[in-house]
Amino acid sequence: MPAFTEPPTEPIKYVDAHVWLPYDYVAGDYRAAYLRALKEKRILGSRCDRTGKVFVPPVSFSPHAFAPCSELVEVADRGTVTTFCIVNIPVIGRNLELPYVAASVALDGADISIFALIQECKPEEVRMGMRVEAVWKPDGERHGDHEDIQYFRPTGEPDAPPETYLHRL
Amino acid sequence: MTQLRNVAIVSFAQLPVVARDEHRTAMEMLSPVVQAALAACGASRDDIDYQIAGSTDYMDGRPFGFVAALDAMGSWPPRHDNHFEMDAAFCAYYAWVRMQAGECDTALVVAHGKVSEGEPRRIMNLQLDPYYQAPLGLDPVASAALQASMVMARLQLSDRDLAEVAARNRCAGAKNPDNLVREAASPEQLAATPFVVDPLRAAYLPAIGETASCLVLAAEGKAERMCERPVWIHGAHHISELQSLGARDLSRSESTRLAAQRALAMAGLDRADQADLVELSAATPAEEWIVCEALGLDPRSSTPVLNPSGGPLCAHPIMNTGLIRLGEVFRQLSGQAGERAVPGAERAVAHATQGHCLQTNLVFVLGSQRRWS
Repeated sequence: MPAFTEPPTEPIKYVDAHVWLPYDYVAGDYRAAYLRALKEKRILGSRCDRTGKVFVPPVSFSPHAFAPCSELVEVADRGTVTTFCIVNIPVIGRNLELPYVAASVALDGADISIFALIQECKPEEVRMGMRVEAVWKPDGERHGDHEDIQYFRPTGEPDAPPETYLHRL
Repeated sequence: MTQLRNVAIVSFAQLPVVARDEHRTAMEMLSPVVQAALAACGASRDDIDYQIAGSTDYMDGRPFGFVAALDAMGSWPPRHDNHFEMDAAFCAYYAWVRMQAGECDTALVVAHGKVSEGEPRRIMNLQLDPYYQAPLGLDPVASAALQASMVMARLQLSDRDLAEVAARNRCAGAKNPDNLVREAASPEQLAATPFVVDPLRAAYLPAIGETASCLVLAAEGKAERMCERPVWIHGAHHISELQSLGARDLSRSESTRLAAQRALAMAGLDRADQADLVELSAATPAEEWIVCEALGLDPRSSTPVLNPSGGPLCAHPIMNTGLIRLGEVFRQLSGQAGERAVPGAERAVAHATQGHCLQTNLVFVLGSQRRWS
């Protein structure tokens, strides 16, 4: 709150309220394991006890099958672009050169996709089915957060056929 | 009184209340509770018509925080869902209203809140108006102390009168394994604890913690198949008062009195003391004096049994506290209350509240027999 030393001379039209609420979030054991693994350039998912589907990042419980996901499994750090868009406006909080490509990438071994940036290629070259791989921050600079993967880049492999990824959007 | 639809609680589950669960997010705490509540009444996800959750985004520390709970509630394929920024007892009331309207036959009611992630006193300050009261830094402990001073002056209560009510809760609560505080204590011990905000001592404040809880409601025809001893809703009503603390007599709870009057009339009763047990959401012993007065009860009397669970002084998981009152009534009237069972209990009153100094109050009357034939 600002300290008022003088009575206001103008009519009061607004009240300036400052809300400050600190939070100390619990990551949860699954998310903690996932973030720790990123530091070691590994990506973890969890397998649904009922359907065998693999969620990345791992969840303790499948909202789809309404069943626990008891097993943590490692998935590949490469996968397939399932859908994408080309962003021409700046995003709050990140300093990215425009335009850039935001994509969903289905990692090999995972049944749902994760959000990723695609770089080291022209935006117009990105396409559904494109094979991409993670570009990690160098050793010693990874902190166990989502920015440990800087972005994904094309691998040059042949495109994946739609039937391999359309159910993993 | 109009003939209403018989609706019963057929299942309840909760996690033991803890100060902080370091291993699980709110959704991860809720998942096993929903599973346990459904398993206990032999229901699958598809047996539930409707779902509703009580939580607050301020406690979650993110907008639309409640949406994460959908993952834990069996929300696929999608079904009708609601959320209240209120204690989930109010969600149970809304689900009951929907059942009266014939909109559903079964409902899942959940509560969640990672209370330890934020600062409840700071958060609940924002329940007050942003012009005059919130900027003063008034928090729920300070407002409860203002209220306590008023009721102590009007009813001529002493510190000892608060200590005795607190000790009764603590002794009952020692037998409830779901409580955060499980040590019985004497009035002398509690009256020796320091003042936090005079006249409220440390032992007169609720035991704030976190949990997840889930109640299953079912209408007649289905309830009997889901539960051997369903606990039927005989009456329910809720009434709100003005927000501004200066605009009402904080030493009384007129909304509790009116809500109880109507809920009891719906149940075919004249007075709350016709119940065998009463579960209150009063957060302090002073508030318990106020709510008891509104219900026509004496907080020092042993009939009806007040707060056999131990009440909020032994566990106050915000957003869950009122729903747990209904859960306790279910456990008591369906023979699942273990060591703290009230012998022969057949009728109960459950009270829930929201806001500073009992701003909004909800009263349920429940029984082990159907209300309407």
